[in-house]
Amino acid sequence: MLEQIIIFGTLSGLVFALIALGFTLVYGISGIVNLTHGAFFMLSAYIYGILIRFLPNFISLEFPYLTPVIALILSTLFTGIIGSIFYRLALHPILGDEISILVVSICGCLIFQQLIFLIMGSLQAASFRIPSLIHGIVYIGSVRVLTRTILAAFVSILAFITLTILLEKTKAGNAMKALSQDLEAAMLMGISTERLYIFTTAISACLAGIAGIMFTSTVTESVSVAMWLDCLAYSFAIVIIGGLGSIKGTLLGGLIFGYAQAAANIIIPYAGYLQESFPFIIMILVLIIRPKGLFGKRVEME
Amino acid sequence: MMIIETCKKYLRKTYTEFATHVYDIPQRMLALLILIIFLTLPYGGIDLLKTLPWLTTANIMAILAVSWDLLVGRTGQMSLGQALFYGSGAYGTALLFTYLGWPLWASIPLSILFGTGLALIIGVPCLRMKGPYLALLTMAFPLSITGFLYYFRDIFYGETGIPPPRAGRLPSLFPYPGRFSLFDKLIADYFLSFALMFISAIIIYKVATSKTGIVFVSILDDELGAKACGINVTKYKLMSFVISGIFGSLSGSLYASLQKSLANPPFFDLLNSVIPIVATILGGIGTIYGPIVGTYIYYTLDKYIFHYVIPLDKNMRLLIYIVVVVIFIIKWPRGIARAIVEKLEDLQEPREIEEIKKENVRPGE
Repeated sequence: MLEQIIIFGTLSGLVFALIALGFTLVYGISGIVNLTHGAFFMLSAYIYGILIRFLPNFISLEFPYLTPVIALILSTLFTGIIGSIFYRLALHPILGDEISILVVSICGCLIFQQLIFLIMGSLQAASFRIPSLIHGIVYIGSVRVLTRTILAAFVSILAFITLTILLEKTKAGNAMKALSQDLEAAMLMGISTERLYIFTTAISACLAGIAGIMFTSTVTESVSVAMWLDCLAYSFAIVIIGGLGSIKGTLLGGLIFGYAQAAANIIIPYAGYLQESFPFIIMILVLIIRPKGLFGKRVEME
Repeated sequence: MMIIETCKKYLRKTYTEFATHVYDIPQRMLALLILIIFLTLPYGGIDLLKTLPWLTTANIMAILAVSWDLLVGRTGQMSLGQALFYGSGAYGTALLFTYLGWPLWASIPLSILFGTGLALIIGVPCLRMKGPYLALLTMAFPLSITGFLYYFRDIFYGETGIPPPRAGRLPSLFPYPGRFSLFDKLIADYFLSFALMFISAIIIYKVATSKTGIVFVSILDDELGAKACGINVTKYKLMSFVISGIFGSLSGSLYASLQKSLANPPFFDLLNSVIPIVATILGGIGTIYGPIVGTYIYYTLDKYIFHYVIPLDKNMRLLIYIVVVVIFIIKWPRGIARAIVEKLEDLQEPREIEEIKKENVRPGE
């Protein structure tokens, strides 16, 4: 049983951490609680689902793995572009007004949800199956694990490494870190806040997109219109366990959340009913014990 | 003769009061005009079936929005979970009505007590939080409760919600004498909800402008400064939560009592937290009258303009009015009601201070 909890917890925890990664990145750099994250998560999964249906018409069948890879890249890029456009149009004009940003970003989620509704036609048409990337089963010890969950965990690790390299080694990453540390000094050094914020939001939307594809093609295997709320639920729980704005914290938060959920699924009878509210229950417990999350930055009183 | 004289005297007194305290100030005239419109609306020859149901809903939602405004706009406790109070009020009423068979007018006050207790319980962990953490925590509360409603389905009936006790016996707030027609019920519900909305708004306005309300604003402006002045910040924050909870659960239980299926999980939906926030920001945050104006704008857009004037299907409607709302918020970040009031203040001619002083002395003082 312990073995099961550890293996399932690690694999699902890594995917959960990937879901929350973009959310925490935007908060860490620009201080915006961007709830549209959930919408990008959903949007990318839908685009992927549609592309994977129609791409085989244009690609020869000699390379079976080409279709998912192209679909993944295209939908992620598209989500990034949409994310930056939405940020520039709706969130940038009200920067600094915390409550308005929260409201406008929730409204953004609803707008994307309704757009998908209108394009797909109906509720039945809007929820369809997403084919999994790889089929097969692997035994780790004595535990049966689906290969695709291992793939998703691997992609998540890859995303974390790429993001860390981006932040540590490149000029843009350094500029982003500078913005998060001292906005005015960064502006005095000639960093364009607007352009960098747009860039950050685009990266965060791309990360949400990858997470959406990985989550739908491995865990749920289907898309539905209300999944932005699930994404937000997981993001909140993880971000709050790990601390808002900390990437290391997000990874650890995701893993802790994964273990907790795996344990609860195995121990509590009929835990399926509690599935929806489970992230919130964990989050409330953590916040009551530690109000700034486990690894959150300590905000000094002004 | 005596009576006519007295009547004349009182009429004159009322007139001078009206002329100096209401007529001269454009905002108050506007408020009076709106009040008169709302009171005469059911008799104005409009289509009752098309307007009164959503106006009743708007009245109830306005209570929720005003209670949110006191908590966030006045005290600065960033809450995204007003649906918790709304839903708990509804479930409290439904449980008392179904299991104990209480009449609705008795179960509503008790369910308000229930909501107050809940506000106290969740207020305690919320006291230590700030900013985005507080927003996320409060948003999590109503969403986490839905899971429990599904888990303990023997008590809460799961997805379907708590039904009325016997088929055919719909809950009604008034013990209606004899047979009421549908139109009478619509009008009664409308006036009742309007009266309750008006009373709640006045109570919250009185609280917000009293000494307590000033302390609330001081917490919003500078919590540390308020603490340094010797104010028990914890007590006042909790007080704000409780007042907000009282009116939030009042609106929830009212809505439940007007609905056919008393209470169901959608009461805890995110949308029920979002509508009051959207309405408040539309109208003007921190103004108390703003949320009411915002709620009516929101419901007019949703239920009337995009429903009867420009008929759209349900999904298109949600999309379009959300886009309109976002544009409004970006265009008037400080709220429409506030913008109107500021315009009206500009219209008022600047007068001599002596003149204003003379006018503000009440007759008889």
